[in-house]
Order: sequence, then structure tokens, then C-alpha cells
Amino acid sequence: MDQQPFVEDIETYAQDIVDTVREPLLMLDTNLRVQSANRAFYETFHVSVAETEDQLIYELGNGQWDIPDLRTLLEDVIPTSSVFNDFELEHTFPNIGRRVMLLNGRKLRAGSHSAIIVLAMEDVTERRRSEADLRAIETYAQDIVDTVREPLLILDTTLRVQSGNRAFYRTFRVSPGETENRLIYELGNGQWDIPALRTLLEDIVPTSSVFNDFELEHDFPTLGRRVMLLNARKLQAGHHGELVVLAMEDVTERRRAEEEAAKAKEASEIANRTKSMFLANMSHELRTPLNAIVGYSEMLHEEAEEQGLDSFCVDLEKINGSGRQLLALINDILDLSKIEAGKMELFLESFDLSALIDEVAATINPMVKKNANVLKIERSTDLGGMRADQVKVRQALYNLLSNAAKFTHEGTITLDAERQRMDGSEWIVFRVVDTGIGLSAEKLLRLFQDFTQADASTTRKFGGTGLGLALTRRFCQMMGGDVTVRSVPGEGSTFTIKLPAIVKEPDVERQDDHDDERAPIVSTDRRDDDPAPAPSTCVLVIDDNAAQRDLMRRFLVKEGYCVRCAASGEEGLRLAKEMIPIAITLDVMMPEMDGWTVLRSLQSEKLLSDVPVIMLTMVDDPERGLNFGAKEYLTKPVNRRRLSRILKRYSCATQPCPVLVVDDDAAVRASMRTMLEKNECRVTEAENGEKALALMETDRPTLIFLDLWMEGMDGFAFADQVRTHPEWRSIPIIVVTAHDLTAGERKQLNGNVEMILKKSGQSREEFLAQIIDALDNCAVPRLVAV
Amino acid sequence: MRRILLVEDNEMNRDMLSRRLQRRGYDVMIAVDGQEGVRMAQEESPDLILMDMSLPLIDGWEATRTLKTAVETKMIPIIALTAHAMSTDRDKALAAGCDDYDTKPIELTRLLGKMDALIGALS
Repeated sequence: MDQQPFVEDIETYAQDIVDTVREPLLMLDTNLRVQSANRAFYETFHVSVAETEDQLIYELGNGQWDIPDLRTLLEDVIPTSSVFNDFELEHTFPNIGRRVMLLNGRKLRAGSHSAIIVLAMEDVTERRRSEADLRAIETYAQDIVDTVREPLLILDTTLRVQSGNRAFYRTFRVSPGETENRLIYELGNGQWDIPALRTLLEDIVPTSSVFNDFELEHDFPTLGRRVMLLNARKLQAGHHGELVVLAMEDVTERRRAEEEAAKAKEASEIANRTKSMFLANMSHELRTPLNAIVGYSEMLHEEAEEQGLDSFCVDLEKINGSGRQLLALINDILDLSKIEAGKMELFLESFDLSALIDEVAATINPMVKKNANVLKIERSTDLGGMRADQVKVRQALYNLLSNAAKFTHEGTITLDAERQRMDGSEWIVFRVVDTGIGLSAEKLLRLFQDFTQADASTTRKFGGTGLGLALTRRFCQMMGGDVTVRSVPGEGSTFTIKLPAIVKEPDVERQDDHDDERAPIVSTDRRDDDPAPAPSTCVLVIDDNAAQRDLMRRFLVKEGYCVRCAASGEEGLRLAKEMIPIAITLDVMMPEMDGWTVLRSLQSEKLLSDVPVIMLTMVDDPERGLNFGAKEYLTKPVNRRRLSRILKRYSCATQPCPVLVVDDDAAVRASMRTMLEKNECRVTEAENGEKALALMETDRPTLIFLDLWMEGMDGFAFADQVRTHPEWRSIPIIVVTAHDLTAGERKQLNGNVEMILKKSGQSREEFLAQIIDALDNCAVPRLVAV
Repeated sequence: MRRILLVEDNEMNRDMLSRRLQRRGYDVMIAVDGQEGVRMAQEESPDLILMDMSLPLIDGWEATRTLKTAVETKMIPIIALTAHAMSTDRDKALAAGCDDYDTKPIELTRLLGKMDALIGALS
């Protein structure tokens, strides 16, 4: 068999393989002359076979391969080592431009051929470029990380540190060598091995991939005690896999500053309270001897008059006058401190305006005459009466008139009063016009500030403390009005008081809000953008506790109501105005604005005052979990027919239902009895708390109607007793009272009563109807408990 | 002669008011605390009681409630006297059963007017 064709076959076969390789290959003899190249070589370098074979490698393509590094490689390395790997060559090739080639060389013995060198060239230009890009991006990212002033740690998912930023190393005074590739807990002798941090990193980050603002207080060996705010993000970082970025913000100083600010605030509040208390006590202590001075001088004056001691009379009048002046001053200071302490209350009553004006005029007349002034009174015919705090209205008018009298000589002081319709409601407008010295614009601005007179020289010339106008303004604002002034220096001033003809009970929020020190010169425009309320069938649930809110919502929805919820008093008020609900359930204990405050605000809103409000409080009931107990509600729409249904709800399974009426007034007891018996109740009566408690021992009622002011044990004490008795505590108590309760009294009843009814200010029929209605509404919380 | 019971713990106030009332022809009896006030009201049945509200032993509110719930004394008009025009005081005084209310320092003409309204003017 002939060997030759067989060898040729093999060589063809080898050449085929070589041609198939996609990487350019050169076969050189030991003299570095090209024996052959593969197809990839010719295609890559755009050269022909003729230009290539039998050429010295350095001569190829006009010497484009004559590269010093390659010479070294081929002439020094290959002869001795017979192989080289991954020699990277960057070169500008005439035909194909700048390229990065990865060269691999092998020296082979190929059968009958002498030794050949196979030179493989891989074009890695693109790969190198993208690697460089990536490096640039990483450097860029690292630069950003290093620029961040907050210490950052980059962890892998096993919580091993990949790197830290410059701020980290600087803050914790550690080197990258001590940090990188270590478990976070091992860093700096385990100073980061903090249980709270472990929980965070091991429990929270893996599942939620992020946590925000975790505050960590810890003793760091290098830094001492520090408060750190930790934020973490889990992110996918390309070939790095999943990483956790942990950012640490040192908030120690901030927290300290906040703490100090809070302490300072508290201290100043305490100081302010102390000041108010001191003023109140001081005023009281001053008033007692002053009362004696005023009283005795008045008495002596009377006696002196009787005995015809005229010269004594003049002096005694001076003592008396000065005493009164001092007394008025002390009262002003007391009032102001009371307003500042938020303790000033309004006592609203209806009174006739003409009578009030006559009274004020009579009081002020001696002062007016003193400076030879004339007092003119003008009032519109439809003036009528108003509902306001009479004492404060009188004082406001008196203050303005006495100022006018003080700053006017031989002039005219006019007081006019009229009824006006503004903003769809009735207002009473008083104007005090004088022809006195007037005020400049600059002085007007400071006019209503506490303890400030228009200027210091005024004090010397005219006396006074400058409290009067500040008080006047505060009084007017408390009553929902204001006082404004217009003045021309040298011609006189006009002070205008505008008050609602019917002043509403103030809500606590408004009363506290006297930071509003805008200049009172321009009366404010009321914004009138209230949209027309859409007809609604929704119940509004106001509760700060989300679980309670949800429970209530679900219950009410199940009962077929549409429900909207509010998480705070403020939100509740806003929603209530927006939707006008059919009923409101209101939590008593809420932060910021509590239930009573919300209730008062609701009732001062015209559109909301008729909406039934059910006050709720959480009662601890180990068997049923959450339970509701209504506390108070005041409502107008009355439905007598609902009574029997409600009594049934009151677990009055066996008729007649036992009801206890506790009232010291026999007439009230009798009328209640009649009404309740008509509704199939069995009525027991007691005239005070002690008797009621004794009765209850033998005859447990299902419902209690309670008067508050009684001889012996009063309603407050009684309610307390009932609520501390394990078997009685669940009996609903309905308070029946002749008067509005103060906030303090309400607090005293806190949690003890179901609702409070008013005995006065309405007809008997209205009153009884209210009780029936109360029964109805009281049943709502019972449904929840079932 | 109109018989007035003045219940007041402050000596000077007591002295002043009693002398001024006596000068106007009233027969003035004095009690210095709430307990004495209640006792004297029961024993003496005065035409009218002027009741200070901050009193030792039993305060004015309590004394008023006691007098106003007892059959023998409930018809005696009581005017509450309080230190300052606190609306809560006024409210409380009326709630306790007082027939009228006045503030200190005493404005004698005003007080006399209120007394007259309750027991008729002295002839």
C-alpha cells in the first residue's frame, strides 16, 4: 500500500481543521518564515496567500508584524520554551487599524516536516474595550461612594464586607485591610456585633430587601457612644451578584440637639406656667388687701358725707379711685395670664344690647367729662340682643371708651352700635370714634400687642399699662370676632368691634391659637369655598387606632352602612365637613385633638351640629376582646317609636325592664317614671347616690338615669362607685343634668357614663324625647359587643 | 327689720359688709365658716343669706346644697359671693341652688339691688 496518498489525506485533513478555526493562525518555520496561514488569517488581515506564504513574518504586509515585543517573543522565548500563552499585543495594523491581539504560540513537530511554530491571534479589542468601560463605571461608582460623606459598607449576601467608602474608614478609624473580606460582625474586634443589627441584616434585609432609618445606639470602642441611623438596600450589582449597601448616619449630635431643644421647650413651658400661676396667685394676694382699701374708703366716704366732712370726702374719693384703678389693673393682668394659660372661659348668655350700652355709658361718663369731652351714643333701631360673654363685651367696650376718653380733650367720643348681615350671618358692630390725638401707621402696628403702648412717652403722659387693647382683642377673638382700628394722626381714631350676634362655644384649638399676631388693621376676608355638601348616607368613624377603626368599619359595613374613616381629630373634622355623615363614631382618647375637642368643634359647625355623635372608648374585656362603650352624645332628631326596640336591645329579655332613676328632685323623678313606665320599664327611684347604691344591692337595674348635683353622694361619686363594682360596671349610665358640663367635670365622669343629657333650656317634651333618642343611640355599641 | 346672714371667713370683708349693711338698716348675723353658716341658717331662719363660696370646713357650694335640700331652709334666698367673675363659678353657684350671684369686690349698690329683687326693698 502506497503511503503517500495517506499522508496527503492527513495533511489535507489538518489544513481543513486549521481553516475551520475562526481565530487567525500562522504557521512559521523555525526561521520565522510563513509556511502557511488559515482562512481566518487572510480574512482578518485582508491579505492574500501570495503576499504571505514564504515571507518572513516581519515582512508581511510592509512590515506590519515587525513589532519589537513580537520579535522578543519569537526570537527569545520560543526557541527555549517552545510555548507561550496569552501574550497581549496592542498594535496599529495598516489594514485594520488599532487592535489588541492575544497571541498564543506553540512549537510543534509535524511528522516529516521540520519543527513549525503555530501562532494563534485572537482579536480581543472589543472585549478589552468593554472591560475598560466596566472598570470606568466601577471606578465612577466607587468615586461616588467615596464622595458620600456618610459611612457606607458594601456587603455581600453572606454579610462579608466587599468594601467600605472613605467616610467609613475615616469615621471608624480603620483601614481597608482590616475591613475588606471580613464578616461585618468581626470588624474592629466585634464592635459591629450588635444584636439589633443582626436582626436587621439577617431577618429584615433578606426578606424585604430594604430598611429605612433604623436607629441604633451603641458604644463603639473607637468613637464612644453614638446614635447611628442605619439604612440598607439590597441590590443586584452585575457580576458582583447581590450586594447589601449599608449606610450609617451619625445622628448623635442631631439627637442631642433635639433632646436639648425639647428640654428647653419643656423648661420654657414650665416657666410660662409658673409665671401664669405666679401672676394668678399674686393677683389674688394683691386683691385681698385692695378690696379692703376700696371697701373701707367707700365706707368712710359715706360716713364723712353723713357728717358733712367735705374735705375728707375729696381725699377719700382719691384713695377709693386709686384703689379701683389698681384693682382693674390687677384684674387685667390676671385675665391676660389666664388667656395665656388657656384657662379663660366664655360664659355665654343672651342679653339686651341697649341696656348694656346704657350701663357702659353710665360707667364711663365721669371719665369722659374729666377731659371736657362729650359722649354721644348712636344705636340702630333693630339692635335687639346678642348671645355672648356679657362681662367681656362690657369690658371690651369700656376699654375702648376709656382709651378714647384718655386721649381726647374737649372733643367728642361717639359709641355707635348696629346689627349687620355679613357672610350669611348676623353680626353686632360697635364703633368707638374719638376726635383725639390719633395714631400713626407705625404706632397702629404695635397697638394690640401685650404690654405695649403706642410709644413709651405715652405711658408717662397718659398712664396705663397697655393691657387694655390686648385684652380687648383677645376677648373679641375668643368670641369669634375681632377689633380693628383706623386712625389719622391729629384727627382721631375709630375702633371697630365686630362680634357674631350669636357667639358659639369656642373650640379649644381656636382658643389656644393666639400665635396669630397679624396686624389687626385690616379685617380678614373670609374664604367662602365650602362646596355644597353631597347628600350622604355614610357613617364617619374617627379613631386613631387602626385596629379599632377597622373593627368599627367592618361592623358597620356588615350592618349595611357606608363607612368612611379618619385617623385623627383634624382629619375627622375635615371629612365631616366634606361628607356630612349621618352619624359619627368618635374615639375619646386620641393624641393631639381628643374626642371632646372634636365634639365641640363638630357642634359649632352649623351643618354638623345635628349629626349624632357616638363617643367611644376602648374597654378591656378579657372574654370578648375589644368592646365599645358609648360615652356621650347630643342630638336633635327625635324618634319616639324606636324606644321599645332599643330597650329590647338593652338585653331587657324579661319585661318590664328595670330602670333606676337617681335624682334629688321629686318632680323630675316622677316625670321620668311616667315616661319610662309608658315604655314598659319598671322604675326604681333614689334621691341620692348612697340610696341608689343601697337599692342596687337588691335590685340590679339595666339602665341608670343620673342627676349630678345631689346632696350627700353626688352623681360623680356615684358613677365612680358603680364603675368600680365588678357586677355593675357594665350598666349604662345616662347623666341628666341641668347645666352644660365643663371640660373638667366631663373628665371627672370619664369612662363612667354613657351619655349626658341636659335638663334645662328646652321643653319637657324635648327633654323626654331626648332620653328616648339617647336610649336608641346607646344601643349601637351594644350591637358591637354581641 | 330684714335679717341677713353673712357667711364670710375673711375678717375685713365681714366687717366692711356687715357695717355697711347695718348702716342701711339691715340686721346682720355673722357666720365664719360653712358649718356655722348652715347651723345658723337652721336656727335663725334669716330672710336672706350672703354666702362666700371659698369657706373653711364646708365650702359655700356644699353649704348651699345642704340648705337648699333641707325643707326648713330651702326657701331662704342665697346670694353667692365669689372672688372673681369666673363663668364656672357663676355656673356652679346657680347649679348648687343659689338664687343669685355677685362678685367681689362688693359693689354695694349692685348687691343691694340684687337683695331687693329677692326680698323686696326696705321701706
